[in-house]
Amino acid sequence: MRMPKLPPLLAKGMLEAILVLLCVVFAFTAEGFLSFENLLNILHQIALMGIVAFGMTAVIIANEIDLSVGSLVAASGCLLAFLVYKGMPVVVAIPVVVIAGALSGAFTGVMRVAFQVPSFITTLALFTAYRGVALQLTGGFALTPFPSWFETLGGRIGNVPVPAFVLLAVFALMHFLMRHTTFGSAVYAVGGNEEAARLSGIRVGLVKVLVFATLGGLTALSGILTASKVMAGSPMVGTGLELEAIAAVIIGGTSFTGGVGTVRGTLLGVVFIGVIINGMTLLDVPSYNQLIVRGALILAAVLINRLQETQA
Amino acid sequence: MKRSVADETAPAEGACNLEVVGIRKEYPGATALDGVTLGFAPGEVHALIGKNGAGKSTLVKILSGAVQPTAGRILVRGERVRLASPRDAFAKGIATVYQELSLVPEMTVGENILLGRMPTTWGGVKLDRRRAYAAASEILASLRMDLDVRAKVSGLGMATQQMVEIAKAMAGEPSAVLLDEPTSALARDETESLFALIARLTARGVTVVYISHRLQELPRVAHRVSVLRDGKLIGTRAIADATPGVIAEMMFGDAMHKTPPAVALARRKPVLEVRGLRRAGRLRDIDLTLHEGEVLGLAGMVGAGRTELLRAISGADRLDGGSIRIDGREVGRPSPARMKALGLGLIPENRKEEGLVLELSTDDNVCLANLKRWARAGVIDRRRRRAAVARTVADLDIAVSDPERKVSELSGGNQQKVVIGKWLNTAPRVLLFDEPTRGIDVRAKQQVFQIIADLSRRGIASIFVSSELEELLDVCHRILVMQEGRITAEVEAADVTLAQLFALCVQADSRSAAS
Repeated sequence: MRMPKLPPLLAKGMLEAILVLLCVVFAFTAEGFLSFENLLNILHQIALMGIVAFGMTAVIIANEIDLSVGSLVAASGCLLAFLVYKGMPVVVAIPVVVIAGALSGAFTGVMRVAFQVPSFITTLALFTAYRGVALQLTGGFALTPFPSWFETLGGRIGNVPVPAFVLLAVFALMHFLMRHTTFGSAVYAVGGNEEAARLSGIRVGLVKVLVFATLGGLTALSGILTASKVMAGSPMVGTGLELEAIAAVIIGGTSFTGGVGTVRGTLLGVVFIGVIINGMTLLDVPSYNQLIVRGALILAAVLINRLQETQA
Repeated sequence: MKRSVADETAPAEGACNLEVVGIRKEYPGATALDGVTLGFAPGEVHALIGKNGAGKSTLVKILSGAVQPTAGRILVRGERVRLASPRDAFAKGIATVYQELSLVPEMTVGENILLGRMPTTWGGVKLDRRRAYAAASEILASLRMDLDVRAKVSGLGMATQQMVEIAKAMAGEPSAVLLDEPTSALARDETESLFALIARLTARGVTVVYISHRLQELPRVAHRVSVLRDGKLIGTRAIADATPGVIAEMMFGDAMHKTPPAVALARRKPVLEVRGLRRAGRLRDIDLTLHEGEVLGLAGMVGAGRTELLRAISGADRLDGGSIRIDGREVGRPSPARMKALGLGLIPENRKEEGLVLELSTDDNVCLANLKRWARAGVIDRRRRRAAVARTVADLDIAVSDPERKVSELSGGNQQKVVIGKWLNTAPRVLLFDEPTRGIDVRAKQQVFQIIADLSRRGIASIFVSSELEELLDVCHRILVMQEGRITAEVEAADVTLAQLFALCVQADSRSAAS
């Protein structure tokens, strides 16, 4: 099908333009949308998903996928609760959980590289298994061993939501990693053309394992913040988070066939989803309808990306 | 009808299964076929040969209905036809078996043979497998092929799949079968059973049009051979008269090659030594030595193992035996990363699939093989890198408006220079060039040759693979000839003529005959 032509400026910044337009509409229709507090609120609401989405961006650019992150969020929070329950100080348990997350990500990478198991399959299996791990660690119930100061991590200092700043920090880190380091360049090369990268002497296997490990570590971090938010290791958190994170990455313009995409785009995608949810909630749109709108949005974003590609 | 002088062995008027008369095909800016007139007799195997770009594949595409000629007539059994599509050509009696097989691996032999023509029952609703298998068995029996119609195609060897493909073509009872490079994927003993099958086809009066780069096998299968050059029919010969010398003259004409670069190359230090290299089914007992600043050519027909050799040396493919030494030191377990660290790089045959990351910019691609060079502790210094890319672009004369834009926007020649530039940025000692001039224009070709010559002067050695023998004579100091995975001859480029080199590439393999 022949795609309609867009004016160049709009074609380049289409997503930004729609986001601004959306904010303007909400600013006029939804009371309190534009307040500083509400904007921080938006970041707070999407932080736990957004942190994962930035790691997911790298994985998708490397032409891989990870469906296990939602379950890993739950398993990480439960592992933290379990360790603290068994007497480990929280400040020690946190890095242990992050490392465990990175190792489980690396496992997916090793399966992919050493045994050629598609990451879709491995992480589909882990999607189920990690949920089981979470249930096993907590005996099926929320485990609540945390000291009261732990609440601030996923909550607020004064009026300022901490996860929002973790989100921005992770964004800055991943943006730098993908844009300004040799590792980031290697990820793009591996995702864009694995054989060319290999023949250029890039260690493709190592790159893939590290990309999955990065996502695993970030997912564990999100799990820790989630545990703080609910002040418990709950085995039922994080359901559907993997699909939301993938949606944010795709809305942000990252190609599902690898090699193309930016962390900045994902930030836009994350904010986009946050703004929509927040705005619709303020407007009292019923939650069933919200789901329909969000689904339509993902499709619309992909169509916009196709338009931009055909005109590039 | 006017007949070309060379067409001395043509069958009598009206006796052809398939005829083309004055066929022309023009593409914007190029004439692919320039008035070709040719008759194919019943029961003959007619080989079509010529260099890349001579017009063979265009003629095959026209006969198979895939493209339409600009002018000229096609006659099947004396009747003029228009071949609107491959399906139409098949219905009118011309079946084509392509180089890439078109079988569905997870279906059975019988289902594949009758694909798209499966008999049905229940008023066309239900496939009638019993009848289908009976029909397929009949076809196989008529070709005396002993094969289970219920066997899955994926479990069959390449040669058997090829035969299933031919049986599929025969299901339409064609007058002519076009075989496009049928033996390129087959081992030697497998080609024999293919030839036997071809003989059974011709015994039934079918015409076989046979396209192959493997000229040495023509005497075993073909009756006549026609040579195309630059879109024109140069001539047709009975196979008994088509000696390698005659064929070479027809294929290459009297085009003289330039004298090779007059480099008085005192044999300097060897940088790369390969001993006893083996790769099962591909490479056998390869020995070669490459000296500092030397340009070594690899000649041979398609499938001789040239690409496989370069890939093995560069660490791209696993080895089954033998040793590689660089500067006298043996390389354990070669991989692309390891060979790069030792100063060796491969400019691969397919630049789009293996050389470039098309989604990335020129800038990124030029830096791909040495990301660390412009980085400190893993952090890239963009400014230094941009300056380095600008130098590469200027040195190699890459025509690029903005290096930040996608490399896929560049022309083939400029893309090839990006791949070369990528390796020059690794400060290499040895570069392996696999068909670096394929699909690039004349000016870019000359520039690539110039780059190789410049490298040679700086002491960087190259191995150069090309199917264009003229290029090898122009560029190389020394040339090795490969056949069937082995090195069968070595010549100084200054000492041979084009025809001699060609004869070395196609002559019956004397060593294997002796062993």
